[in-house]
Amino acid sequence: MSKSILIDTTICTACRGCQVACKQWHDLPAEKTKNMGSYQNPQDLSFITYKLVRMTETQINDRLQWLFFPDQCRHCEDAPCLETAYDETAIYKDLATNAILYTKNTKSLDADEIIGSCPYNIPKKGAGGVLAKCDMCNDRIHNGLKPACVTACPTGAMTFGDRKKILSIAKKRLKKVKLRFPKARLLDPDTVNIIYLVGFEPTQYWDYAVAGLDRGGVSRSVAMRKMLGPFARMMRVG
Amino acid sequence: MKFNRRDFIKISSATAAGVAVSGLGFDLKAVKSHASLLKTQYARESTTICCYCAVGCGAIVHTSKLGDGRVINIEGDPDHVINKGALCSKGSSIKQLVENDKRLTEPMYRAPYSDKWKTVSWDWALSKIAQRVKKTRDMNFQKTNAKGQIVNRTTSIASVGSAAMDNEECWMYQTLMRSLGLVYIEHQARI
Repeated sequence: MSKSILIDTTICTACRGCQVACKQWHDLPAEKTKNMGSYQNPQDLSFITYKLVRMTETQINDRLQWLFFPDQCRHCEDAPCLETAYDETAIYKDLATNAILYTKNTKSLDADEIIGSCPYNIPKKGAGGVLAKCDMCNDRIHNGLKPACVTACPTGAMTFGDRKKILSIAKKRLKKVKLRFPKARLLDPDTVNIIYLVGFEPTQYWDYAVAGLDRGGVSRSVAMRKMLGPFARMMRVG
Repeated sequence: MKFNRRDFIKISSATAAGVAVSGLGFDLKAVKSHASLLKTQYARESTTICCYCAVGCGAIVHTSKLGDGRVINIEGDPDHVINKGALCSKGSSIKQLVENDKRLTEPMYRAPYSDKWKTVSWDWALSKIAQRVKKTRDMNFQKTNAKGQIVNRTTSIASVGSAAMDNEECWMYQTLMRSLGLVYIEHQARI
């Protein structure tokens, strides 16, 4: 059974509790950053930052809107990165939670190819070509805890649970939110496990908020290699 | 080269359905059992209150049972009535108060007009503070105001804090400050 998280951005206050809790649980170091004129810090996800609250100031219907988007891996139901890697020692899916997990063996993959396959621009490359991203706190889930980010959220913007339950909560919540935000919608609820609820156009929050048709996915060459993969394996064994 | 029906299905479904998890020749047991071990597995749990603002969120501190007893993890306490497990960004980083190589462990002193800090002893620092508080207070102490009314106050010292004090601590703190004659006693949450 897939585990899912609903992130209701309409009640997110961008306190960044989730961002810091993620760093804290994973024992990741701080980043050296510069003031870029925004409270968003750091500017992007990285090898040592799996979760980032993106902040955008924009004008919608003649009103200033400060949009918050706590960005992280979506843990796709059919993950293009996993299919592209085609190496279970590097990228695999935990069948108990459906979390997509990266190991140190990602260093033997073509990092740019994996990054390019992600419709949400999530995996980041570290020293030696190892890739890293959110692991949904898989260790915590297995021990009956909620992911660190969900536990920390002070406004209740994040809800964690079984996919079915989360989907039904998301739909109920959407109905309510629509009264205040007529354009509210869920982002790719059928294909991902980290489901965002936004009040405005998703691209106003962040370019990669929603999967685009023009990017990500399994490329032709990768698909070919996968077709040939089992043959190649048999040839090796034979 | 020959392949059976099972292999054929695997080949043809590989692209459409993603990686067929079984039968790829890798043993995933090791990675999976690794994922199920928590870093707090063998730690001692104790509770604390976040030291930052006046909300007073509860947190669980995980300390090592082995040797050094250092802090492994601090996170929100789901059983705490105030925050039910939630913590803001400051609260979430609270482990760094303890486990931090940049943390000062001794009092430091920078003399007036100096550009250097030097390490001093607690005794020296505390008596120096006491001396200077007394000197400033005595120098600027007002027994009466312009109308001749008794006020017994000093307006040259102000106190700011503290959000993390409980009722009894606040009472003691007020008593000390008022006995010195302070009138500017403020709480930093209002600044």
